[in-house]
Amino acid sequence: MAERTPERLVRLLGLVAYLDGRTGVPVDEVARHFGVTSAQVLRDIDTLWVTGTPGYFPDDLIDFDADSLESGVVRITQVRGMARPLRLGTREAVALLAALRALAEAVGPSLDSADAGVLQSTIDLITAATGSAAATGSAAATVDVQLTVDGSPQVLTAARTALRDGRRLHLRYVDAADRTSERDVDPWQLVTGDERSYLAGWCHTVGGERLFRLDRILAAEVTTTPVVTRQTRTDTGFHPSASDPLVTIILDRRARWAAEQLPVESVVELDDGGFEVAIRVTSPAWLRRLLLRLAPWVRGVEPPEAALDAAAAARRALAAYGDEPAVVDAAPGSERLGTSDSSVDG
Amino acid sequence: MSESLPPAERLLNLVIALVNTPGRMTKEQIRTSVAGYEHTPSTEAFERMFERDKDTLRELGVPVLTVASPAHGDDLGYRIDSDAYALPPMQLTAAQLGVLALAAEFWQDQALRTDAARALVKLSVVGVSAPQTDAIAGLAPRLHPAGPALGPLLDAAEGRQLVSFTYRAASTGDVLERVVEPWSLLARRGGWYLVGRDTVRDAPRVFRLSRIVGPVRLLGSPGAFLVPVDADPRSLLRDSGHDELRTARFAVAPDRAGALRARATAAEEVPADLVAPEGWDLIAVPYTRTGDLADEVAAYTDAVVVLGPAGLRESVVRRLRDAVRLAEVVGSAPAGEGTHG
Repeated sequence: MAERTPERLVRLLGLVAYLDGRTGVPVDEVARHFGVTSAQVLRDIDTLWVTGTPGYFPDDLIDFDADSLESGVVRITQVRGMARPLRLGTREAVALLAALRALAEAVGPSLDSADAGVLQSTIDLITAATGSAAATGSAAATVDVQLTVDGSPQVLTAARTALRDGRRLHLRYVDAADRTSERDVDPWQLVTGDERSYLAGWCHTVGGERLFRLDRILAAEVTTTPVVTRQTRTDTGFHPSASDPLVTIILDRRARWAAEQLPVESVVELDDGGFEVAIRVTSPAWLRRLLLRLAPWVRGVEPPEAALDAAAAARRALAAYGDEPAVVDAAPGSERLGTSDSSVDG
Repeated sequence: MSESLPPAERLLNLVIALVNTPGRMTKEQIRTSVAGYEHTPSTEAFERMFERDKDTLRELGVPVLTVASPAHGDDLGYRIDSDAYALPPMQLTAAQLGVLALAAEFWQDQALRTDAARALVKLSVVGVSAPQTDAIAGLAPRLHPAGPALGPLLDAAEGRQLVSFTYRAASTGDVLERVVEPWSLLARRGGWYLVGRDTVRDAPRVFRLSRIVGPVRLLGSPGAFLVPVDADPRSLLRDSGHDELRTARFAVAPDRAGALRARATAAEEVPADLVAPEGWDLIAVPYTRTGDLADEVAAYTDAVVVLGPAGLRESVVRRLRDAVRLAEVVGSAPAGEGTHG
């Protein structure tokens, strides 16, 4: 994947301004500073070395100390008037400020004073830096994002403390199948989203990586046991495995959004605009919830047990509203309700 | 210079030339002397390339200024004023850069991701040392993609420029063309909203971005309106009913619906007209979106009964009726099912 020209140009200009006034920076430190590889830094230096003012004689060019570079240290000796760092564009400032403000509003109260200070001072600096660019400081109100941290304050504080101190958490958690369990978890990450928030970590109780919905953690206690596991990948998405059973659902065309939002294995288009999706199911409870949500558009399910379970349970539920004719429930499959399963919703 | 100079290199040469030029450079001087332009096959090709490059630089915050010749007004020249593009003097600590790196990860929309990443590179320049990534340990803010409407609406709101778009009304499903002064964009609970003045109705309105059909067009010129000083987008969104805080009351089966119980605010008295089954609990749960809560509650089927409000109760009953129909769909329904509703 080739880097886009504007991104490369911003870094090239940035490198010159960054190196100006510094007496010499090791290549790997430059790389870490800009979040690129050392090889990329060397390629960037090669490019900078041949750019300059028209004429392009040695004195016209951006120049580096070649001896120093030989020993792995970057020292710029001629910047050709390019020492000023670039200001932020309006949208660039908005993108960062909206994120910072959302973070401060959502988790500010749970931060210790040092972290809270860092967050607030960063917001102040970026606001000040864009004050002139964004006319009347209108950047403040244009984008307003609220994150949803819907766990209890006690749970949130415990999670933050455990993350900061690298301690194991003891959780009381209610899963998607409505079962409450006690768990010992190495916390890795608190994923705060606009819709809901999760705690990602290693669950020692089940011996696997798990995402816990914050609003389903009933209680959290910071233990004295240090965290012994480490996150292996950075995306904390939903990952069904190939060994999970495959279920096919035929859906009406109006449920098109489902095909876009679900972790489907395959989609087969049908002649009338309907379609058939194949989904790996990690938990029967998850499948049942999915079928209940998609019910108006479901035209077929294979195997059918989960649909029969859901329908039978729904019929019993309607009875409580006086909505259902008083039919004694004897639907096939109802005894399968509460099928035991140890997986956790993700 | 090589014949096929990479574009980044050509742009860099252009910036350096225009910053260092004592007065200005004409197009002809740029074409003949700046490395990367010398091999353009025709004047037209050069003009196209130069216009594109100026656009790219403007997008990056490096405006190319047009300078008329003192002698001949038509004879245009160009230069770049480094004061005009420079960041004000500032310094960022490793921890502050770490927080900014976290903020840059926030966006899932491609356009805003690019903006945030670029801002981070620019700010790294004034970082004292490399970002300290364990700042605010373990936090990972994530925002759902808003879709293609967000970028143009942001530009329009920033520039105070009118927009038009096709909008599907929630209540009727009618599709209507709207012309709006975009004031503010708000993200709440997985949804993005535009708050602004609907010019046809001449009143503030709230639009859900996911109901915008097709492209958003920017109309007229920037600076076309002022956001009223007393405008309060948060209240407008709340009052629009998209985001109104309400309380639901439920009867919950013993030891069931733990997640719902966890959000309960206070135990409620048993209403006189309700006979709760033996051992069931009555709970009150605050919520903002009926559809989301109805999905959640319907999934508990017979473990939860909605006592109110009526709208939520109806939504849940409707879902349960649809669910009963599932038995027919898979072909094993007992006779006489599915006729209600």
